[in-house]
Amino acid sequence: MEEIKSKIIERIKANFSDAKNKSYPGDRIDFSVNKETIPSILFYLKDEMGFKHLSHITCVDWLEENEFEVIFIIWSPLEKLKVFVRTRLDRDNPVMDNIDVIWRQAHTYEREMREMFGIQFNGLEAPQDFLLEDWEGMPPMRRDFDTEGYAAETFFERPGREDAKDVREILTERSGEIVPDFAKKYSR
Amino acid sequence: MMNDKNSQKIVDIIQNYARLHSLFVLAYGTGCGAIEIPPTMTSRYDAERFGIRGAATPRQADVLLITGYLTTKTLKRVIRVYEQMQDPKYVIGFGSCTINGGMYWDSYNTIKVLDKYLPVDVYINGCMPRPEAVIAGFVKLQSLIREGKAEGAKLYKDNLEQYRENQKKVIPNWVMPEYNW
Repeated sequence: MEEIKSKIIERIKANFSDAKNKSYPGDRIDFSVNKETIPSILFYLKDEMGFKHLSHITCVDWLEENEFEVIFIIWSPLEKLKVFVRTRLDRDNPVMDNIDVIWRQAHTYEREMREMFGIQFNGLEAPQDFLLEDWEGMPPMRRDFDTEGYAAETFFERPGREDAKDVREILTERSGEIVPDFAKKYSR
Repeated sequence: MMNDKNSQKIVDIIQNYARLHSLFVLAYGTGCGAIEIPPTMTSRYDAERFGIRGAATPRQADVLLITGYLTTKTLKRVIRVYEQMQDPKYVIGFGSCTINGGMYWDSYNTIKVLDKYLPVDVYINGCMPRPEAVIAGFVKLQSLIREGKAEGAKLYKDNLEQYRENQKKVIPNWVMPEYNW
């Protein structure tokens, strides 16, 4: 498997000068490219190298670096290998190319990313609403969206839950474990 | 004679007796609670021995069973379903999500307290309630009907403005038909 992997990496690097490879064990190959290269590298992987199946498209919000990372996971049924293609977008103006001409099912993922992260895809023809209805304001899956504050402001709360304690706090008090600060923010 | 208070009382008793033994349920299967309905209805727990059975449409149903969390999107549909139902009508809130949000207490699109938006007659606690708990909830509803205390629909009619205000707070784009009251 390693031979085939290194062959694929060589071929991609020869054809796309901006593709950077990071090695992972197992059946996984990882490339990060510029956002302009995305349609051509996906076309090449699909038509020339047999990566016919789009498994998933996902988005990671790197708030500290002010960037979104869009990851395409594609699979080759012949070689039993998967390729991760990553690209970074500017968080203030996240625009990239629409790839639903390559795989039709990308359409659904792109609509969801547009709604949940606010990423705009050039030439994506779809109604604005997908999972949410009449949503205004910041897309809810962005990390700087204050979910708890929004829920407290919009919805009623039944009295009697105010004294609900953090389960992790009680458990760590008993065991004497120290919880790091970043973990405290996300637990209750 | 017909407007006599005592005779009205007798009519009510007979009416309530008939109603409590034929609860036609419209199960609005949101969330995970819908999976508890098949065992409740089928041979092991056999809810039909209490006169509880499914109804196909809102207009044929007496009980609206809301089985789990409601997003703001499904709340809109639930309100439409509830308003289409004919009197007598009752609402059962099912699971802790309808009571106080449950595990979705900090979600951006899930309502937490159902009885601010619809009049709930009986809540069934649990995450998820087992079929025994569901049947206990129905028996509680039956005893409320027998005593003439299950008056959710009347509450909704009387406080319609209050309920509408709460509903419009989470459904900003309100395009709904007005049903007769």
